[in-house]
Amino acid sequence: MTTEGILTSSSLKNPWVRNLYSLKKTWYKFSRNWLSVLGLVMVVTIVFLAVFAPYVAPYPQHAGKFVDFKGKNQPPNWQHLMGTDTVGRDILSRIIFSFRNALLMAIVVLAASVPLGTLTGLTAGYYSGTWTDTVIMRVTDVFISIPPIILALSIAAMLKPTLMNSMIAVSVSWWPWYTRMTYSLASSIKNEYYVQAAELTGASKIYILFHEILPNCSSSLFTKMALDVGWVTLVGAALSFVGLGEQPPKPALGTMIAEGVERMPAQWWIALFPALAIMFVVLGFNLFGDGIRDALSPEEA
Amino acid sequence: MPDVTYTNNNILVAKNLIKYFPINLSGIFKKKYIVVKAVDGINFSVKKGECFGLVGESGSGKSTTAYMTVGMYAPTSGSLVFKGEDIAQPAVKRPMHLKKDIQIVFQDPGSSLNPMRNIQNILEMPLRVHNMIKKGHSIEKKVISLLDRVELPSHYRFKSPITIGGGERQMVAIARALATDPSFMVLDEPTSALDVSVQGKIINRLIRLQKEFGLTYLFITHDLSLMRNVATRIAIMYLGKIAEFASANEFFQKPLHPYTQMLLSSIPILFEEEAKLKPKKIHSVGEIPSPVDVPPGCSFNTRCPFKTDICLVEDPVMREIEPGHYARCHNI
Amino acid sequence: MSETLLDIKNLHVWFKVYGGVLKVLNGVNFNVKFGEKVGLVGEAGCGKTTTMKALLRVLPNLALIPEGDIFVRGKNILKLNSRELADLRGRGLSMIFQDPTSALNPVFTIGQQLIDIIKYSAGSSGQKVANKENVALSALHEARLPDPERMLDSYPIQLSGGMRQRVCIAFAIATARDLLIADEPTTNLDVTIQDQVLRLIRDLVEKKGSSLILITHSLGLAREITERVYVMYAGNMIEMAATSLLFKKPLHPYTKGLLASVPRLSGGGFAEGIPGRIPDYRNPPPGCRFEPRCQYAFEPCSKAMPPLIDVDDGHQVACYLYQNGQENRRNA
Repeated sequence: MTTEGILTSSSLKNPWVRNLYSLKKTWYKFSRNWLSVLGLVMVVTIVFLAVFAPYVAPYPQHAGKFVDFKGKNQPPNWQHLMGTDTVGRDILSRIIFSFRNALLMAIVVLAASVPLGTLTGLTAGYYSGTWTDTVIMRVTDVFISIPPIILALSIAAMLKPTLMNSMIAVSVSWWPWYTRMTYSLASSIKNEYYVQAAELTGASKIYILFHEILPNCSSSLFTKMALDVGWVTLVGAALSFVGLGEQPPKPALGTMIAEGVERMPAQWWIALFPALAIMFVVLGFNLFGDGIRDALSPEEA
Repeated sequence: MPDVTYTNNNILVAKNLIKYFPINLSGIFKKKYIVVKAVDGINFSVKKGECFGLVGESGSGKSTTAYMTVGMYAPTSGSLVFKGEDIAQPAVKRPMHLKKDIQIVFQDPGSSLNPMRNIQNILEMPLRVHNMIKKGHSIEKKVISLLDRVELPSHYRFKSPITIGGGERQMVAIARALATDPSFMVLDEPTSALDVSVQGKIINRLIRLQKEFGLTYLFITHDLSLMRNVATRIAIMYLGKIAEFASANEFFQKPLHPYTQMLLSSIPILFEEEAKLKPKKIHSVGEIPSPVDVPPGCSFNTRCPFKTDICLVEDPVMREIEPGHYARCHNI
Repeated sequence: MSETLLDIKNLHVWFKVYGGVLKVLNGVNFNVKFGEKVGLVGEAGCGKTTTMKALLRVLPNLALIPEGDIFVRGKNILKLNSRELADLRGRGLSMIFQDPTSALNPVFTIGQQLIDIIKYSAGSSGQKVANKENVALSALHEARLPDPERMLDSYPIQLSGGMRQRVCIAFAIATARDLLIADEPTTNLDVTIQDQVLRLIRDLVEKKGSSLILITHSLGLAREITERVYVMYAGNMIEMAATSLLFKKPLHPYTKGLLASVPRLSGGGFAEGIPGRIPDYRNPPPGCRFEPRCQYAFEPCSKAMPPLIDVDDGHQVACYLYQNGQENRRNA
């Protein structure tokens, strides 16, 4: 009911002004909760470390083939802030490099599962009640019931265990969750009057799915994607813990924990710091995802 | 029965229009269906260029009738003819020119406009769907001219519906309906969700637009005071059937059907001159029965103060009591 | 005064939002005597719900009250602790909301909810209410609900809209209260049911000797039920008078415009409504908040908000046109 006194009619014509205004408003909604801002800081840190790993890590060469048996099993000290592992590699550097594959895995998995899941969910939701809905959702149910780790193990047994194969495995078991979510959103949105209005005017189904229904799913989608980066990292760590995924000597968080578990509790730092790093990633993206949800929530008039 | 033959003057004709919604309540072992008799055999015709009013409370079937006209539902049986063409199908099956020609404005502008799109997109959609932009013309100019028709400033096209008030949103909904240059518009309670001070503006604009573009309106509302000032002919519906049907003046000066009188007596009014028009003898009693459970005989017999024995058994037929004034009651 | 039940003095309520503060209530003055029926009329966005929320102390966390007091029975309720507040809510006030469907919990029976209310109405005194079921039954009976015993075991979803609202009324009058606040109690109901429900509220309030605040945007409803009416605009009370006097002789330009906008049952078309919109609460006009839309605005109007000035006996207007207690027009 109130007008936006901040923008005048002439300034609205300028697209830069409009975009800046909506950006500022989104930031305001995001930053109301300090935890979301904390999450943003954590996410930015992780991304920065991942992108600039060779320049930021204190011992970049430790992330590859490197052994230094004289310096092995050192507890945290000033040269190695998180200590060294059983073959003398700096744990902090390896953690920084492992963020690279964690993020890479998340990006690949999401890039594969989000479009597929959203498309199937939108279609099934819009045609809910018909055969299309039944077929799509039952296929989805089949895929949802596949546990990612078992699938990854099977794929590894058939092919070599590599990062790419575990990414494929995780994607295959990830997309159905997006279908489920989009399905429930689409099937309720399709009953809204603005969708009816578009249908009655004769808009094509493609238009309705992508321009009327999908924008209203966007806030849930982006929130879930942000949270999923953390969860995919967790699943990826579980896979590398059992030996799938990125193979040694390349660094992976789960592998590092696996190596360190045998040495607990004497050389506690070998397992603990990678575990804390996983926690940092998951927590950071969770808080960030909460903030995204607040930022994209519709305004109350 | 009112004149339901198609002539050039009757742009929309409904004959024995019926819409039942079956609801499946079957369990694993028992089969059970109930039927919601939303519209149970109505006959009416809308003349070209007039504003035809459909009044009723909840369960009356007025919205269902409107939605059948636009194509949201297909009738269960009966005929619905628009400009000589049979339109008794849902909109998905209708040819494009019908979708262009019949438009609807919904009741709640908050939910009839997509909150995630801006007004430019909302108004462009019907223009693109029906290819209304000729080569060389700018779609933006057309959108600005649409906004101009409903007297909204041109910079509103950048706004999203959430940021403008209810009355303005409804104007945008009207502009969207007008975008395809329709000849027939269904207005489903266009001002019920709005304040009284905005109502007048919208209705006046609608009336002006009707004159300017030669539109025909099917106007639906439960507000009789509003109807008095808008409609030329009025039909009042109760539980899926038309109870009374007359020109606006006749309807209010001489309401014949007991339900019409009951409705008129329940309206809160402001001024003495209006009080004279309210029937004194009859007050509202009883609940409105559900359309699932329609009483036998005349559907109004549970609440009618004038009911007689025949009302419990036989459903009355629509008769012409005076020229142009029809009612469905045994006791008139 | 000992006979004043509720006295709101100079209440300001602000909401923190993006871009500043929404100064919604701008010095509201409102009082209700014991046993009086007062109407609060205003359109959407004028602040009437905010006033009631402030009275019930259920404003959201973003709200602050920089100035003003609310006195109930002489005690300043803005300063009550939670125990005293429970007392107030349990025994002093009760509220009927606009939408009975969302006011009733769908997973509990009517009986369970009603007995809970009776139980908590003892407030902090800890007394047990004897025979809660009898109290519940008599409340349902007084609300003219059919078959109260069966009603106790029914779920809200089994009832029609009118019945649900009557159940809410039963909840409100089950135990003795000083003040009943009805926030648009009939807006979602059909017209014939509306009439019955309003008469029920009026009769019950008179029988129990409680006071009533009827909040509505419909002037006609206020006229039917209340003894005294406040008209509210953009966070201020701009006119107050005995009901019949207000409708015969409205003084404030906004009230006049509002009355002119209502469609008449006697016909005559529509007035254009009131031009303009309600002010932006982030940057409200420094003077009278109606000044930008007022055709009679003159020099003092843009300087400061006029206080409620006494005109005739009991008739107050917040308008500089009536500065000297009588009409004082500079611009015709």
